[in-house]
Amino acid sequence: MHKKQQNKLIRNPDRRQFLQTSGALGFAAAAGALPQIVYAQGKKILKVRAYADMRSLDPALSQGITDEEIHSCIYSKLIQYKPGREWGWQLDAAESIEQLDDTHIKFKLKQGIMFTNGYGEMTAEDVKYSFERILDEKVESTNKPDWGSLKEVVIDGKYEGTIVFDEPYPPAWNIALPYIVGNIVCKKAWEEAGGRIDTTTPCGSGPYMHKEWQPKQKTILARNPDWHGGTAAFDEIQILPIDDENTAQIAFESGDIDYTRVSLSAVVNLKASPPENSTVEDYPSLYYVWVGMNVENEVTSNQNLRKAIQHCIDVPSILQASYFGAAGAATGIIAPGLIGHREKSMVPPTADITKAKEYLAAAGMDSASVTLDVLNKAANVTTAQVIQAICAQAGINVDVNLHESGAFWSLGDKSAGERYKDVQLILNRFSMAPDPSYATAWFVTDQRGIWNWEWYSDAEFDKLEAAAKANSDQAARHQMYQKMQDMMEESGAYRFITHEATPVIYRNTIKPAFRPDGLPLLRNFSAA
Amino acid sequence: MLFYLIKRLALGVVIVMLAVTLLFCMIHLVPGDPARILLGPRATPELIASMSARMGLDQPLPIQILLFFGNLFRGDLGMDVITNRPVADMVFGQLPYTLWLIFTAIGFAMVIGIPLGCYSALHRNTLIDRVTGVLSVACITVPAFVVALYSLLIFAVTLNWFPAVGAGEQGDFWDQARHIVLPALAIGLSWIGYLARLVRASMLEVMGENHIRTARAYGLPERVVVFRYALKLAVLPTVTVIGVGMGFLLSAALFTEIVFARPGIGKLIFDSITTRNYPVVMGSVLVSTVLFVISTTLSDLVNAWLDPRIRSSL
Repeated sequence: MHKKQQNKLIRNPDRRQFLQTSGALGFAAAAGALPQIVYAQGKKILKVRAYADMRSLDPALSQGITDEEIHSCIYSKLIQYKPGREWGWQLDAAESIEQLDDTHIKFKLKQGIMFTNGYGEMTAEDVKYSFERILDEKVESTNKPDWGSLKEVVIDGKYEGTIVFDEPYPPAWNIALPYIVGNIVCKKAWEEAGGRIDTTTPCGSGPYMHKEWQPKQKTILARNPDWHGGTAAFDEIQILPIDDENTAQIAFESGDIDYTRVSLSAVVNLKASPPENSTVEDYPSLYYVWVGMNVENEVTSNQNLRKAIQHCIDVPSILQASYFGAAGAATGIIAPGLIGHREKSMVPPTADITKAKEYLAAAGMDSASVTLDVLNKAANVTTAQVIQAICAQAGINVDVNLHESGAFWSLGDKSAGERYKDVQLILNRFSMAPDPSYATAWFVTDQRGIWNWEWYSDAEFDKLEAAAKANSDQAARHQMYQKMQDMMEESGAYRFITHEATPVIYRNTIKPAFRPDGLPLLRNFSAA
Repeated sequence: MLFYLIKRLALGVVIVMLAVTLLFCMIHLVPGDPARILLGPRATPELIASMSARMGLDQPLPIQILLFFGNLFRGDLGMDVITNRPVADMVFGQLPYTLWLIFTAIGFAMVIGIPLGCYSALHRNTLIDRVTGVLSVACITVPAFVVALYSLLIFAVTLNWFPAVGAGEQGDFWDQARHIVLPALAIGLSWIGYLARLVRASMLEVMGENHIRTARAYGLPERVVVFRYALKLAVLPTVTVIGVGMGFLLSAALFTEIVFARPGIGKLIFDSITTRNYPVVMGSVLVSTVLFVISTTLSDLVNAWLDPRIRSSL
């Protein structure tokens, strides 16, 4: 009797509590959903994912793609990348622009381009200030190399000017004018702000204005009603920083975002059965992945051993295992579509164990043992395991060393101790901008122990690298960059793996715009 | 009691100082030049040197530690070298998101776990008790990342009940409430099981004690016996566990903030470590350590407040 009473006393309040709590939660969920729908219907909002949070609104201090995605929306450039599958540019703030000779580019601004917040009309003075400040030591811009041999901008009139280089600099058209350092800021506003800005901007002139930055949560851009290019497609663009690609994919599938890059592992399934009302596309990426071999190391200084390893590495197996068949084999460090890209590598992608054994014999060895340093990421670890397995068939034992990012990125750094001497094989991955000079720059003699971890050095390569950068004859450049990659491969110090790929997914309610490497050009996104 | 509080606070200060010193040493043990990693491959040696100076890394380690504590006593946590914002602003801007997540998760666990444990104890060896036992152990053993991913797939993607990422619109309570449900579930689920088992065991022990028997003998209503006398003592270990568990909750919040792309101090620390933004790492870890010390001190004080035996021993 006593026990029953006790049970009743406890059970009843629990049930009531449960019902009250569930009711409250249900009401909360329903009430919470309502304002969001109304809000979304009231405004045309584009929600996209960025892989990192915004760092700076100053083009001089921009730290890469995420910042540039925002800058390209809020600032104007003389020219912008043209959306599509082939590299090219289109006019933006410039009414006309032309290469006068090897070292001079003449431009004329469109009239009536207004800076926001009452900062007046854009003039050639603003262009001069924007470009030259990147070179200013006081500004401490890490993007200075993008301007190459820029000397000055000469003002020829209120809207006209000439960009002058000390020596020919063809990459200006690919990685300077339409990219980070090509953003035009307002001289008056920047000078009032002390010469540099951080996470707020006094004014812009692009299709969108910077409205708000919620750190680690989102960057909100609002339509600029005074944009010289007409009416921007969306009332607002919300850029959400989501590090993890799988989370981004879930966010897309749950309707939280309208566009995202997805992981290579998900591409096959997504293409087979894409989420309702969405499209999956993939673009070739500019990244390059390769296995480097340290020519100064006691073991790997043997060129025949390096060549044996080159022939052992089976690229198709790596592409299948690590990149799920969604990426193609690389023929060098320069991606397809760019000047200098090679159609074929000298060492075929498929492994040739017989040839590898011949090179091993030529090296005076029956077997060998080497180390392979790898950044601890899933694709890299799988790649290392594939290399390990295939090299074993030729009698080459590969010990894989996994490193976290801090340790990995200082492995070949001669200023970080003696560790660089122990590097034998290294699986590496660099990003690049759409000009071949951006890729070859890291493999010259001066870069040994900085980013040239293979310690590859060839005077002819260095000479070609300097000459190709300054050659305005595109056909000649093409051949020079191809030759450079041949030389790299012939040294045995490089086995090129892949340029990866950029798979993207977007909702059919929007019409996205991408660079040929799959990076979004948000200012060109529109409603379908 | 006051003496005890002063003693705990002094100990807390020592713990924080030790933690920060340890962190400084760890930063110096990590290979690679932080300024170089932060600035990327195209930075010139002059820029790297300038950045090192701004991060204070050009000074010997003991000087760096002294400077940090010197600034700290002036209320200055330093400047973020990337965005040029005060670290304190960044940390205290992110902290409310993490606290909101932790307190929701633990509140959620307490609201479900404690009554469940209590109910199980009062219905010992019944079918419901056994089912509750199995469910509690299941909740404890399922890793938080599994809960996070499956809750996302079920509730965000399939049912579309809750959003998958973010923390909701600022100033919109209901939107923020909808955004907190899944992350709080991911962190809180294992705590539901844990608290249910803890309260059940504790309750069973307390219900057999003399003062409970005496209360019943005096004819007090069972509701009074259970809620006023038994449960009050049975939740004591829970308070201690939650206080000490604050550290675990902070690390769980880090993981959850990444999976759900939520702002918060965990994500701030993670991003700062990956970019080698050490002033922000130092400031964030310092605040997290202080938070941990405060929560354990508070749990001790609450224990003392609930149990006169502990109070008298202080």
